[in-house]
Parts: sequence; structure tokens; C-alpha cells
Amino acid sequence: MKIYEIMSSKVISTTPDETTKEAARKMHDLHVGSLPVIDDGKLVGIITDRDICCRVVATGRDAVMTKVSEAMGTTVVTCFDDQDITEAADIMAENHIRRLAVLTRKHAVAGFVSVDDLARGSHELASTVLEAATPAH
Amino acid sequence: MKIQELMSTEVASVRPDASLRQAARKMSELGVGTLLVLENDELLGIITDRDISVHAVAMGRDANWTDVKTVMTTDVVTCFNDQEISDAAQVMEEQHIRRLTVLNHDNKLAGLLSVDDLARGSHDLAGAVLEAATPLH
Repeated sequence: MKIYEIMSSKVISTTPDETTKEAARKMHDLHVGSLPVIDDGKLVGIITDRDICCRVVATGRDAVMTKVSEAMGTTVVTCFDDQDITEAADIMAENHIRRLAVLTRKHAVAGFVSVDDLARGSHELASTVLEAATPAH
Repeated sequence: MKIQELMSTEVASVRPDASLRQAARKMSELGVGTLLVLENDELLGIITDRDISVHAVAMGRDANWTDVKTVMTTDVVTCFNDQEISDAAQVMEEQHIRRLTVLNHDNKLAGLLSVDDLARGSHDLAGAVLEAATPLH
């Protein structure tokens, strides 16, 4: 099975200059936990609800004054949409993560694939990813 | 297999009158995303990194002056430590959640059971829970 068959392709993004408060509001309204950060058509990072909690709130910064670029993660692990889902599972397990950004072969952002999406393709692959992941507790 | 064989017994907690900033710092320092809200050993609720971002930051609340009890979830879904892991998986599926609070038969807190813990016992049960869960994207 290919990654494009299970990935989520409706991806809402943010920009480096948006405030972390605005990003949190998008996460609330869209029921998502992460947003790709796009600058000039390029993927420059990912910001998650946890980043806003740990890098803004925990350090006493004001979310209205803190830009997405100051709290986002810039190491974005990616895969290609035409790779097999077993490859996506391997990449997640090796990196101890639960989500990958999916690119087309022309390096445009095509979507995201999460361990939840993997579970719809294979319980076995998804569980391997969970066992390798950094604890969520 | 029983829930107590897979659950995590080291559970981090916070007081209901702590500020969100204090809760966020605790999550950051301990590398966890969930804190149980306890007062005099009584379980009042649960608060996650996501709650802090989407229920406080997104709404423009000041994390220094908003306390944990304002944004915590008070409907805590529980199970007992001597139940079968298949029972736990069924409860998670029905409630579309990834984590249960585990009690002993004196109704005292015994631990937490996440879908990650389940994956160590059964790939199939964990996969089914992920498929039923509210999306993470």
C-alpha cells in the first residue's frame, strides 16, 4: 500500500510570522495538534500543541508576542507520497516519532501521515511505531 | 493479560490551584504530556499539553493567572488494574481516546494505561484503538 492512499491531504498551514496564539487558535478550531510552517511555498518547520505548551507557556513567554518561528521545530522528517507504508513505518520507528510530512517527488507538501493513518492500513505497522515512539505520558 | 502488567505506575500530578505556567513547566521538565490533577490524594481531573494550548493560549488566557482547574478535563475515564487489556482497549475505542486512568478496587489511583502501553501487549488491540481515536493531525 502506498502512503498517498492513507495520508491526510487536507493540511492547514501557518507561517513563521504568525503568532503562537493564532497558531493555537487554528489547532483548536481545526481539531489538529500540529501545523506545517510554510514560508514562500517552502516547508520550514512544524509547530505542535506541545511546542506551544513547552516552549511558550512553560518559559513564561506571552503567546501574543511570540512568533511561530520562535517555537517551531525545524527538523522535519519527511517521506514521499509514492513510497510504501512499510517505509513510512520504518522512518517513524527509527526517528521515534508518530507523524511524517509527505512530499511529492517535486518536493511540494502533499500532506501528513500519522500513526493513526498507518493503523488503517496495518495494525502491525502502527504498533511497531508506537513501541518505538518516545513515551506520550 | 491484565492491565497492571502494562500500565505506567509513575504518574506525574499537579494541584488544581497551580498555574498553567507551572503545569506546563512540569510537563516540559518531566517529558510528559499529561498530568493528573490531585488534591489530598483525590483525583479531580486530568490536564494535557494540548489543553493548555487550545483551551488557554488559543483563547487568550494568561497562563500565569489561569489555574489548572479552569482548563482540566473532569470526565476522567477509568478502568481497574485487574481488568483484561482487551477490556481497556474496548473502553478506549468506545470513548475515542488513547489513555485511561487506572484505579485499584479501593478506588485509589494505580497508574495510567496508554495505547503505547497496549502496543507492548497486543499490536492488534493497539491498532484498533488508534483507528477509533479522534485524529491527532
